[in-house]
Amino acid sequence: MDKIIPFLEEQVGGICYRSYKYCVDEREVPSVNYEDNKLYTLQRDRYGETDTSLKSTKDIYRTAKQIEGSNPLFRYFLDGSRRIYKIDDIELGRKIFPIIGGQIGVACCERQSPSTFKKAILEHNLVMSLPSEADKDGKNSEQFFNAITQKINNLSKLLQYNLKFSKILTYSSKELAPGEKFENKGIAKIQDEMTECEKKIVAELVKKNLLNQDNYLLKDGSLQYKPMKSGDFRELSKIKSNYRCVIGLSKHFNPELSKDKSGKSNATKIAKLPLYHRTPAFMYQTDIVSTEVHFCIWYLRIRDVKYTESPFAGVVKIEKVLVTDDEIENGLSSDEIDLISANIINERSPVAYGTDTRWANHLYPIYLTEKYVKSQYISDLHFLNLF
Amino acid sequence: MKNIGKIVATEKMPTTVDEFYFWTDKVRIIKPFDVVKVDHIPPSGSNKNSITFGVVEEISHFTDSPSFLAGYISSDFGDVDHKPNTERIGMNYVKAKVVGNTEGIFTPVLDGHLVSLAGEEDVKKALGLDEIKNKLPCGYIDMYEPPDNIRIPVHFNSHFLIGPEGAHLNISGISGLAAKTSYAMFLLKAIQCQFLQNKKENESVAFVILNVKGKDLVAIDEPNKDLENRDKDIYEMLGLEPKPFTNVKYFYPYNKDFPTTYALKDDVKSQMKQGKAFQFKYIFEEDKDSIDLLFSNVDDPTQTMESIVNYISTGQGKFDGLTNWNELLTEIYEHTKKGDTGKDKEITISSWGKFYRLFRKTLDKSAIFASRLGDGEVRLQEQIKNIQKNDIYVIDVAKLDEETQGFVFGDVMRAVYDLKLGQIERKESEIPSKIIIFIDELNKYASKEVPKSSPILRQILDITERGCSLGIILFGAEQFRSDIHDRVKGNCSSYAYGRTNAIEVSKGDYQYVPPVYKFNLKNILGVSLSGRAFRYNLFVQPTMPIQQKGFSLQSLTQNSIPFAA
Repeated sequence: MDKIIPFLEEQVGGICYRSYKYCVDEREVPSVNYEDNKLYTLQRDRYGETDTSLKSTKDIYRTAKQIEGSNPLFRYFLDGSRRIYKIDDIELGRKIFPIIGGQIGVACCERQSPSTFKKAILEHNLVMSLPSEADKDGKNSEQFFNAITQKINNLSKLLQYNLKFSKILTYSSKELAPGEKFENKGIAKIQDEMTECEKKIVAELVKKNLLNQDNYLLKDGSLQYKPMKSGDFRELSKIKSNYRCVIGLSKHFNPELSKDKSGKSNATKIAKLPLYHRTPAFMYQTDIVSTEVHFCIWYLRIRDVKYTESPFAGVVKIEKVLVTDDEIENGLSSDEIDLISANIINERSPVAYGTDTRWANHLYPIYLTEKYVKSQYISDLHFLNLF
Repeated sequence: MKNIGKIVATEKMPTTVDEFYFWTDKVRIIKPFDVVKVDHIPPSGSNKNSITFGVVEEISHFTDSPSFLAGYISSDFGDVDHKPNTERIGMNYVKAKVVGNTEGIFTPVLDGHLVSLAGEEDVKKALGLDEIKNKLPCGYIDMYEPPDNIRIPVHFNSHFLIGPEGAHLNISGISGLAAKTSYAMFLLKAIQCQFLQNKKENESVAFVILNVKGKDLVAIDEPNKDLENRDKDIYEMLGLEPKPFTNVKYFYPYNKDFPTTYALKDDVKSQMKQGKAFQFKYIFEEDKDSIDLLFSNVDDPTQTMESIVNYISTGQGKFDGLTNWNELLTEIYEHTKKGDTGKDKEITISSWGKFYRLFRKTLDKSAIFASRLGDGEVRLQEQIKNIQKNDIYVIDVAKLDEETQGFVFGDVMRAVYDLKLGQIERKESEIPSKIIIFIDELNKYASKEVPKSSPILRQILDITERGCSLGIILFGAEQFRSDIHDRVKGNCSSYAYGRTNAIEVSKGDYQYVPPVYKFNLKNILGVSLSGRAFRYNLFVQPTMPIQQKGFSLQSLTQNSIPFAA
């Protein structure tokens, strides 16, 4: 039965080495993987919220108690994930490049009632990441790789299992800088594709008018999307209106990256944040995203420190894109920040205790969405054997 | 029919030739024994999917909580009033036993295939109820919840219940709640109804019922006033006339003023007036040979009691020429005296003394041992030897002491045996081809603890082992099946289990019973049927008694959880 590797060899005129295939995610050495990896300093002259008098922390528990039992603010939950595979090595023009495969899953789930949690939108794509060198003519790469994708999808092996690759992504074949690896470049392309899928789903929700002031979307991870070279949603600044009712929640952040207005680390303040308290909201811009996009961020403790393994476990970082001129000028309404915080506090249970080491920072609907996305993956063995 | 879930086959819990698992919504009401169907692969050369049928065995609720502690933490660290915005994700997973495939395909069902409720015809096909020959109604099955609920009549193959393929029924269940008697009466009614409706020259039936407690069975030809229209509908669905038994005769133990019975005086008098009730007696001349039956439950390891009975019945010593029970008693008493020289030297005085005590006790307690018959008085042996086709004899022994009850039961069985063995001068064609004996409290006569030498046990063993070919069928009921002699149980072709208790189901007799069946036996009112007549065990719902009864089953049936297989 037709496999992909011999076919690719033929199409791109390379030689494959039949190297060992494996899932990269399973081989990675465990390390701290922060969801925000950009250093940011808060704008000294700007407040992230309208209540400028708030200097220390604020207790949100009472607000959370008050709204308990009423319709929660968050109705939609978004999470994206990818699974990366090292498929083979291919020799092209006397250079060896890795062939990277991946499964991208992005799902938005809707909580219709406390007992009804359903998929709203799902994107599950199989992709490959090849070096740009694979297109030997290099004139119309997009067309070239689209044609190969089409042909791969018609291979009997894929037809048999009713599987399709959505795209062949390309990474630069340029000489590597010291410390750089082609493998990481290939993986980064897949990561970018996943981010693109997330933005696409947010756009779809907005287009369907599903997001409004009573029905927010809670997205797992940061909203700091760096600009892309291609794609319909390449710049966040162009699509920021889509994020009017979207909250980004980072459960794992690097506290050292957060600096206060005087440039000192916020880490101690975050570590000492009392239970159900939030920090004042800060405003910041970052060149990595775009200077036209302003973010409002704050931290909130949702678990008592006595139950957690570290002082940062149990604290979440909350982000919101400031959309209106008024928001950019004066910051987000403090009432809205309190309401968002209170709703997040009320999402604190059930917990993924015992099934996820990040339980103290996890919110259950996000956890469920992540589970759903991962349940849609085909098995590693199945994926690797397509090649 | 409605789709209710999908097959799940995992590494640890794969689908196999005889079982599969599927998930359902956590609020989907489904019961053990419900039949479900699964879309399965088509046979070679066909595009049409086959269908695999399964019977629900176990239902489990399952969440993503890995531990109890996670549950505690999820309730805001032990706050019982905490209400989360999102309920923990959960579902029910169901284990089902494969009972067949429409195309005979037993390849395990495939992951992700749809599972749906079955229709009436599907359920019949799945349980093999559509192939039953010689149909005899044995109950009904209620399946699923409204609006999908279905009701299915269940039939025995009568050849496996009353011969010739197999015979004898054993019913077990705790007292009062198991509906043992009701179920036995329902089957007897169905049999009588069938034989009355389909008259066949070669086949006929008659019944001998022993009433062993209260007044349960002394008005079986009277309609049940509590019977409602919905109960009548069930009888009609099963093809039975909702009318009480016919051709019934009642036999009460004789007593001077009024028979020894729990039945009401007026009722008995009325029955006697109508010529359908009689008092029975045991006359010395005719019945002296049966005295061995009085000692059936007496432990007799050295067989001295048996020797004495032989001594008396063969007329040895001065036992020849006696004319009544009192003379017999006096003669026995003589043997208890020291210095008597006419007796058998091998029987000790103490044995005679024991025999005398037991015999005198029975004679003192019961007036049925008499010298001659009066008006309206009969001998049971004679009556049974003249039993007619479709007759039902109800012999009331409820108020007799235990020894006398055993005596009467043994005597009745002996009479039936003699009749069927052709030892009576009667035309073969006039004798009912099958005689069904129903006895409750079978454990008194056929338990594992009954002495092996017991003549009643021997009689019961003979009937269960040879009765099928002779046309003697035993319907026995007892509280605990585990008490009953293995050969008696083993020779029954059909078994019905009513409600029982946890101790009983933990015994060896229930070793092969799956846990869910045990749960039903402990908790749900219904009758579980098994035996050669059925491909699978069935759990049928009891019907409301058609005849008048000492107590009402109504409240039980209203509260019962329907059925399943």
